[in-house]
Amino acid sequence: VIVTLHLIVLALYGLGTALALAPFLGLPPSPRPLNIALPCAGAALHVVAISQLTPVGLGPALSMLALCLVLLQLASERLLRGSAVALLAGPLATALVGLALLSGLTPGGSAEAVGSRNAWFVLHVALSVSGVALMALAFIAAALYLLQFRELKARRFGQVFQLFPPLERLDQLNRFALLVGFPTLTLGVLLALGYGARFSGGLHVAKAQIVWGMFTWVVLGWAVWVRVVRHWAGRRAAFASIAGFSAVLLVYVALKLAQPGVERFL
Amino acid sequence: VTDHGGVGIKVLGVNHRTAPLEVRERFAHGAHEVPGALARVMAAGAQGGVLLSTCNRTEFYLVTEEEPAFDTVWSLLGERLPAAPTGGVREYGYVVRDREAVRHLYRVSAGLDSMILGESQIQGQVREAWEISRAQAGPVLHRLFQTALHVGSRVRTETGLGMGTASAASAGVAVAGKIFGDLAGRSALILGAGDMAELAATCLSDEGVKITLVANRTQERARAIAERLGGRAVSLEDAWAYFATTDIALCSTAAPHAVVTWERVGHIIAGRGGRPLCILDLAVPRDVDPAVAQLENVFLYDVDDLQTVAAQATARRRDEVPAAERIVEEEADHFWAWYGGLGVVPAIKEFRTRMEALRAAELERVMRQLGHLSAEDRARVEQFSEALLSKFLHQPTVALKAAAEEGRGYGLLEALRRLFGMEPPA
Repeated sequence: VIVTLHLIVLALYGLGTALALAPFLGLPPSPRPLNIALPCAGAALHVVAISQLTPVGLGPALSMLALCLVLLQLASERLLRGSAVALLAGPLATALVGLALLSGLTPGGSAEAVGSRNAWFVLHVALSVSGVALMALAFIAAALYLLQFRELKARRFGQVFQLFPPLERLDQLNRFALLVGFPTLTLGVLLALGYGARFSGGLHVAKAQIVWGMFTWVVLGWAVWVRVVRHWAGRRAAFASIAGFSAVLLVYVALKLAQPGVERFL
Repeated sequence: VTDHGGVGIKVLGVNHRTAPLEVRERFAHGAHEVPGALARVMAAGAQGGVLLSTCNRTEFYLVTEEEPAFDTVWSLLGERLPAAPTGGVREYGYVVRDREAVRHLYRVSAGLDSMILGESQIQGQVREAWEISRAQAGPVLHRLFQTALHVGSRVRTETGLGMGTASAASAGVAVAGKIFGDLAGRSALILGAGDMAELAATCLSDEGVKITLVANRTQERARAIAERLGGRAVSLEDAWAYFATTDIALCSTAAPHAVVTWERVGHIIAGRGGRPLCILDLAVPRDVDPAVAQLENVFLYDVDDLQTVAAQATARRRDEVPAAERIVEEEADHFWAWYGGLGVVPAIKEFRTRMEALRAAELERVMRQLGHLSAEDRARVEQFSEALLSKFLHQPTVALKAAAEEGRGYGLLEALRRLFGMEPPA
């Protein structure tokens, strides 16, 4: 059931992404209600699928990240009244669901897995994944900002000009995602520490995962610091967000390659 | 055609297609002139009237017979144009009748008949015309204008006819909107005080932009615009320092060469701390040195750029015309069905009254011949006559109501009147 639901979710996200990309491929734009209905339907099914999963391992984490991204995409669409966020969030979420399916999604029945269903752990995973998703949203807003900036500077009035949100709104979205993302991830990290202290000897966590988690937290903290304390905005802040998110991805890939076969490491 | 005894919905007017600007501006009625003009037409027999007067059209929407109301309208307009051509003011005008008149107003409200296709200002003007004329509109025009506003909203919501911007000035607003998002509360500096500068400044002001300064070589004109838009007039030389704080700079001077140069404003803009500055150069020849655009966070657009944006919007809007026309036709059908029903209901009532009178008369005659019947039998015969009449009338009544709902009431109504010798209402 979980795999079937994920396959349907994959199809809905994929279709939603195709519709969002259509105007950039010279096709007529689809009606806005349809652009929202497809990811909405996908997210609803996705919630059902995830509620049956144990939040342990790579597959469930990727699936949860995809769901968070789609929910943030829908919230952004509501706030910005534009489908531009779907241009990047859509393919990313679709790819994440695909990777989750490839990594394996099972309900999990081991004592360890059942133990991991306690509230501390579930909350830790939910908050951490939400923090990373918000960081990804900040990255998406920054990328859209730079694209729109380039078009406006070059006086090109094509699809990007027409369909992307205004620069200031993208800048605000980036700032909002970082400012909400940092405390969310911080809370996720604190819950992990609390979980470790409360249930010592519980789940085994690889050192690589701790390194990557802390690195992500530091990078996100730095991105917030430059925005809030150094008052970076606009293009400079966009470059900072893109650099930070890219660094997080690169470190993840590097650690994954350096520690093959560590199942628990995300 | 639905015709309530020769009285029908009529539109008489002139618009941007039939009359040049110098003629249209003479026909334009201020809000205070509308009740008086309509009162004259009403005195000539019109049952209801609304006057829609904008810079692109002056139209009388009337529920009336053709004469003498038409003559009154033409003479009313003729008085405003003493040097009318030989054919009189009618040469500039047009008349649209009945369902076409309904369709006409719906197209006007939707922006399909506007000079700039799909422009949204007209909907507000239709609303204003209706509100000013409300006391004289009457029930038919009241409903017509109400539905016209609904059609305008439907077209703008369900199609892309109002998408984008279709003039250089409004394109400037759109481009600034792509930088700042919500323009309300932003500040603008206006260089120049010509018509174009004033129009573009008004467009910005309409979006909530605060016009802080109007700079011009001659202070008098700058002061007039500044006062109207709530800003302050300064000389051009005093304006450069404000490039450090303003969000939008709108340039439209008559200078023969660039006045906003790197040397004048480069160091000032550099001190903005990366805040974006949108410069709209509407002047020909250009007011702004293109080198200024190389500064970080300066977005410079000239007339060609803004006309490109406007042209794209117009082209896109044209693609939406068929969808908008479909909505107009659909809504015109709905209105026409309602309007058709207005004539059918009294006709049905009259038809039934006549038949009932006929039944009563015939019953009375036959009862005189059947004097031997008991009271109980007489009651049965009366019941029989009532039931028979009711059965006879049922199908024609249903058919007439159905035809009226489909906008085909008039044909059946005419047949009914001829077959049963009913006179059309006066």
